[in-house]
Amino acid sequence: MYRQGDVLIVPIEESAVPAHATAAGAPEEPRDARGRLVLALGEVTGHAHAVLGPGRLVREAGPFGPMLLHLPDGGRVVHEEHAAIPLPKGWYRVVRQREYVPGSVRVVAD
Amino acid sequence: MRAAGVTDAEQVADGVERWRAAATATGAADRAAAEAGVRLAYRRAGLAEPERIVWAGSPREALRLLRDAHDGDCGPEARGRSVRDAVRSTPWAAERSRLHDRLGPQGWTRRWGVTGARLWETTRQLTDRIGAGLVEGVAGDRAEEAAIRLLLLDAVLGQHDAAWLCAFDTGAGSPLDGLAAVARSAGWWWPYERLAVVCERPVELHRDEAGRLDRGDGPALAYPDGFALHAWRGMPVPAAFLDELAALTPERIRDEENAELRRVMLEHYGYDRYLQESGAQPVHRDETGVLWRIPLPDDEDVVMVEVVNSTPEPDGTSRTYWLRVPPATRTAKEGVAWTFGLAAEAYEPLRQT
Repeated sequence: MYRQGDVLIVPIEESAVPAHATAAGAPEEPRDARGRLVLALGEVTGHAHAVLGPGRLVREAGPFGPMLLHLPDGGRVVHEEHAAIPLPKGWYRVVRQREYVPGSVRVVAD
Repeated sequence: MRAAGVTDAEQVADGVERWRAAATATGAADRAAAEAGVRLAYRRAGLAEPERIVWAGSPREALRLLRDAHDGDCGPEARGRSVRDAVRSTPWAAERSRLHDRLGPQGWTRRWGVTGARLWETTRQLTDRIGAGLVEGVAGDRAEEAAIRLLLLDAVLGQHDAAWLCAFDTGAGSPLDGLAAVARSAGWWWPYERLAVVCERPVELHRDEAGRLDRGDGPALAYPDGFALHAWRGMPVPAAFLDELAALTPERIRDEENAELRRVMLEHYGYDRYLQESGAQPVHRDETGVLWRIPLPDDEDVVMVEVVNSTPEPDGTSRTYWLRVPPATRTAKEGVAWTFGLAAEAYEPLRQT
């Protein structure tokens, strides 16, 4: 697994990928205006954890994911404030970091 | 954005970004564009244009105008019935139904997922908070409060309707073009038979990276007429509370009885500083970081993991940050793993930056 700031990228076996994510016509997240797959976007700075290269991103239930990422040829996850991380080809689950708040849980944004 | 199906992902992303900018725009409304949009929206609804368009500095001022006595300029006699359904809800439902029929249930869900869903959560939080602030502003009178709630049902949210507008075709000539024109140019508005009351946009809007209202030294949201909301990382706080933050002491923090305000105080004061001054001892240390525990009287302990950012800052230093974790956490690794929803033994990053 790989961690870039508040995002954890966990490899998953192809056999463990939910069928709805691999089905033809599965809802894919669109790339941003720069053609990247955005794993997490900072609302204010516009800084993003993003993947360059071929692949697809499928959002699971919930406003902050998790999301499933498929990189058939591998790729690189980049961010304005963190070093890039090369990712081998395969499927990943993308998890946002959270913080404990008594009575609830909130998402961390770096 | 034209409704040509979600075939051009970049065009969709661009549309979402433009609507995101509209939703968070601050500064003077483009009154000419907004008024033209209001008139167009009435015509699209098959209604006569409003005789008057009245401007308000904020939703609070709009409510004050609308609550005027019966003989007031914008009172019930002068304005006629609300036409919100005709101007906003009916055309919205028709467009949604048309798109749903064309794209199918899955196609519609997909369209919503890549457009409106991306703005929904943060704009809804904002509008809920504004609504709550408007209701709170009424001095304890239940009848007044009920009147405000009823008037809020007549509001069209202007720029804060961006989330649903971005799911549709809003180009010139589309059924929603008038509504979209107002949303790009102004804040909330109230459409009535004979007049429309249109609000300015905020002059201040401060949010954190997650899009929540957040400011430590002034209002997080403020309108030109003075209507303002204070919040710290999304949590509403009284204005006077922020003034107090600058002069906090560990004793004052310990004595605060409201747990949520105490959390804000701790965050503002700095966990590191508080740990140092309260003489807290680390509970556990491993390769992922350090676990700290601060006992609080009559409350669950604050348990935090101290983590060092793996990527150095531009000046070469490494930023240390604290994340609060559940009070039962026993090791630093268990705490860090929890922040990603994992058990300690499952958390093994190969590489981190």
